[in-house]
Amino acid sequence: MNFLRLLLRNALRGRLRTFLTVCGSAFLMFVLVFMLTALSEMDAWQGTAATHLRIAVQHGTGLANSLPITLEPFLRGETIAPHGYCICKLNWFGGIYLDPHNFFARFATDHLAWRELFDEFAISQAHYDAWCAQKDSCVVGAALAAKYHWSIGQRVTVLGDIYPIDVTTEIVGIFNGPTPRDEEVLYFRWDYFDELLGGRKLVGTYWLKARTPEDIPKLKELIDAHTRNSPDPTETMTENEFGQQFMEMMGNVKGLVMNLGGVLLVIMVLMTANTVAMSARERVVEVAVLRTLGFRRIHVLGLFLGEAVLVSLAGAVLSLGISYVLFNVLRLSPAPEYFPYFLVERSTMVLALAASVGCGLASAAIPALRSARRPIVDGLRQII
Amino acid sequence: MSELAVRVSQVAKTYYRDQTPVPVLEHIDLTVPTGEFLALMGPSGSGKSTLLNLIAGIDRPTAGTIEVAGQSLAGLSERALAAFRSRHIGFIFQLYNLIPVLSASENVELPLLLTHLSRAERAQHVRAALDIVGLADRSDHLPRQLSGGQEQRVAIARAIVTDPTLLLADEPTGDLDKKNEEEVLVLLQRLNREFKKTIVMVTHDPKAAACAGRTVQLEKGALAVAPVAAG
Ligand SMILES: Nc1ncnc2c1ncn2[C@@H]1O[C@H](COP(=O)(O)OP(=O)(O)OP(=O)(O)O)[C@@H](O)[C@H]1O
Ligand SMILES: [Mg+2]
Repeated sequence: MNFLRLLLRNALRGRLRTFLTVCGSAFLMFVLVFMLTALSEMDAWQGTAATHLRIAVQHGTGLANSLPITLEPFLRGETIAPHGYCICKLNWFGGIYLDPHNFFARFATDHLAWRELFDEFAISQAHYDAWCAQKDSCVVGAALAAKYHWSIGQRVTVLGDIYPIDVTTEIVGIFNGPTPRDEEVLYFRWDYFDELLGGRKLVGTYWLKARTPEDIPKLKELIDAHTRNSPDPTETMTENEFGQQFMEMMGNVKGLVMNLGGVLLVIMVLMTANTVAMSARERVVEVAVLRTLGFRRIHVLGLFLGEAVLVSLAGAVLSLGISYVLFNVLRLSPAPEYFPYFLVERSTMVLALAASVGCGLASAAIPALRSARRPIVDGLRQII
Repeated sequence: MSELAVRVSQVAKTYYRDQTPVPVLEHIDLTVPTGEFLALMGPSGSGKSTLLNLIAGIDRPTAGTIEVAGQSLAGLSERALAAFRSRHIGFIFQLYNLIPVLSASENVELPLLLTHLSRAERAQHVRAALDIVGLADRSDHLPRQLSGGQEQRVAIARAIVTDPTLLLADEPTGDLDKKNEEEVLVLLQRLNREFKKTIVMVTHDPKAAACAGRTVQLEKGALAVAPVAAG
């Protein structure tokens, strides 16, 4: 026997009640972990784009409009050259591969500039050469290839939805990225894309690299000034800013999720508080007896707080275990089209555990204090 | 050790019920020599439990002083008072008050959790205490698996396991049938004679009081002259 054993015995005293409380807080905690993971996944996509000097040029009215190919000579010209290089077209193709749920990024791009622009990718010379040699070929990330059991030489067809064309390309190369998330991409050649479109020369975005960080504001100014009074004004931004426009759409979502998380915690506290209050009420005499035996107020406080923390931690561990198996082991995703990965991060787990400890303490604080402060003789007479 | 286990001097206790003072004890003087078995009798509401609680240090007097084993309780903080109870007092309740989720031996072990004894030492003490009350074979039983008499004997084991200076019992046989009452009284007598325990027992029952060495009578908050000691 020791204090922990006493805690456990007390916690298991109302088995059904404790079970229901654990399940309740496990459920709420699961929802919380789910939301936190959704947030961390959103951040993860943004995070992968953080450190480069890459610059994106998009249509001033948004991504829905294409840029004119006539912009390209300017970008390659002597105005830009001192500040930027590695001009590369990049079109988000979208589309459907076999099933709408099979979500991964597909881009049409300038294969010649691609390797230097995305220098975080590692691809063998042979694979890269093969891509350059064959117009209707593509390269895919290693994680993606593994996911769909693709191998070199296989032909992959993506049905267009944004563009009225279906693209069939042969996989000739596989590249590795810094993280599996970066490998969730298929790149095919822009010249082939344009050929299928009948030479309409639709450019989704232009990308280039700034020579130094100081060149970034210059490039923004130069490019946007050049197009300001044209029918197709541009908006030039860093890769981070480019990513953020997607995140801004989710910015509200993020705030909402945070508020919801707060609401969940409050519900969790109230639920556990109810359980603790009930059991504290039942144990009025017992507490008085313990104190008669020489237990101090701090012991009583510890017994109730400890029990509440134990119960809510049990709920948290249960929900984390289930989430870990579902998302990290079985690799299930609640929405594969948005979250090809839905990995519960360690920080999320730590946060969830800390939140459950906090909930336990908060929910037991009042009943525990009341129990500890009740005069012994009142307790023995059950004057509540 | 002091010759006197308990010295109660000019103790008064007044409860307040909605601002109105309810005097329960007035001018109580009582001494209990070490090794005595004292019975405290009196009609219901005369303040027997109140006095016992004051001696146990679970309540504080309104006036007067109480010394147990030569130590005055008046100046003790809550914390020191708890330590005092742990060291000097073994309390036996009318309704046993065992913790229902703990086995007999775990119940007996409870007070030892506050000591520095090792697990093995605690187990040894628990076995000895259960042996004395004759329930060594029931150590794994939960309270609800025991009869009332057995429960009270476990409670007595819990009270003696720390080898306290003073055993205080508030109507320990009040809820028991004749046979169990007999057993508990014999046990208390044995603790007094064989193990030299000082015992103060509150009781309504003259037969129980007869087991004690001396009887004092509480009458409307004051101690009356004790009738001739029996036993
Ligand atoms: N916490 C309290 N608040 C108010 N009054 C109290 C309190 N505790 C005891 N009393 C009153 O003090 C008086 C004495 O109570 P006590 O329990 O000491 O009597 P008793 O002699 O033990 O009676 P019984 O034989 O019924 O157990 C009673 O009138 C009781 O109502
Ligand atoms: Mg009483």
